[in-house]
Amino acid sequence: MIKHLKVILLIISVTFFQTTPLYANEEVSVSGISYDEIYDPIEPINRAVLNFNFFIDDIAIRPIIKTYKFIAPEPVEKGVSNFFSNLKEPIRTVSFIFQGEFYKSFNSIGRFTINTITSLGTFDLASRVGMEKNETDFGITLAKGGVSSGPYIVLPIIGPSNLRDLSGDVVEYFVDPISNNVPNREYIAISDGLNERAEIDEQLDRVREASSDRYEMIKSIYYQNRNAQLEEEYIQNLPVPKIYIE
Amino acid sequence: MRNLPLIFFIIFSLSTLQASEVSEWFERESNQFLEIINNNEGTESENYERYKYFVNKNFAVKSIAYGLIGEKIIENSSQSDLSIYLDVFSDYLIKTIYKLANSNSSSSIILKDVDIKNDIYIIKSEISDKKSTANLYWKVINTGESYKIIDVIVENTSYFVTKKSEFNKILRKNRGSLESLITEIQKI
Repeated sequence: MIKHLKVILLIISVTFFQTTPLYANEEVSVSGISYDEIYDPIEPINRAVLNFNFFIDDIAIRPIIKTYKFIAPEPVEKGVSNFFSNLKEPIRTVSFIFQGEFYKSFNSIGRFTINTITSLGTFDLASRVGMEKNETDFGITLAKGGVSSGPYIVLPIIGPSNLRDLSGDVVEYFVDPISNNVPNREYIAISDGLNERAEIDEQLDRVREASSDRYEMIKSIYYQNRNAQLEEEYIQNLPVPKIYIE
Repeated sequence: MRNLPLIFFIIFSLSTLQASEVSEWFERESNQFLEIINNNEGTESENYERYKYFVNKNFAVKSIAYGLIGEKIIENSSQSDLSIYLDVFSDYLIKTIYKLANSNSSSSIILKDVDIKNDIYIIKSEISDKKSTANLYWKVINTGESYKIIDVIVENTSYFVTKKSEFNKILRKNRGSLESLITEIQKI
């Protein structure tokens, strides 16, 4: 049964990757990017999952995060955030190799070595000596390899993604040299998830307050952030309004 | 051919002058913005009035408002509907900026760089408080009389792009009805 499921998933993935553009109305974009019509064929399901996520967040996750942020001093929060970010450097190293970005790959493994030896990753000494952090993941690797994003997906508890990024996450889960060699990797994954949630706590509060449609807002923010990681001149190429006399 | 270096020099000088003018404007207005954010005195309505003054003075409200709904909706709407929309949107913009800024207590906005593309100034700055620092980009146009902001990008999230997605969704859901959009954004 599992064997069949894998085949079905593979067929679905290949079909989506081959036929769906990054955005449904890509060709009408002025700047080459259109955020108006992100490919979202399962929107009703996604909306239901998002509502479920907000419900779980309200009753369980948000109180934990608010308490953590209230209790933990700023340096502790920063240290925890650095620790989890450092654990991702080896997989970033692998991703950069696949992207052909060898300098960044050396930089990532160098950062991991320096930060792990000096502080177990809780202090980002590497940045202080000029080895800046470069974000990447397998979703970005797939995108740079020409794979389209596929449909937008909201995952239970985890949040916004798309078929390409989800596939990247699955690959990472199996090839990550750190988490594959650590006992009880589930606990690390959960703690990392909570840490990531804590990092976007203020932004989420704003989404709750200042949005006429939080589903659309989150979707747009997700794609903008992913495109920023993919494009060199992302800010310059963002769409702007036509100018009217004020 | 001999005049080519001179032409390049004039073009370079002009663009430098423009960049320095917009930098001066930015320093002045960002300081005023910080004063408004960090002002803890006064009632909520007084603070709101300060935001209103700042937004109306510095934002290209009409361009943003019209850009969010698109030309097709503008063509199909009456002048009175557009006028109502403009008023409601102006209020919406002030409220969203007010909410955005009120959740921060910023201690500084530092100008990092000014770039020009297609007559739009892209001002890169850094906004910091005691806890963190974030990249803040401003897209600005020169209207002849003054400089006006057409978009604000916090880290990688553009106000214009995000709101356009939201507004488009509402318009599509209501078959392009501007009245429905007005009703929705009035709820904020």
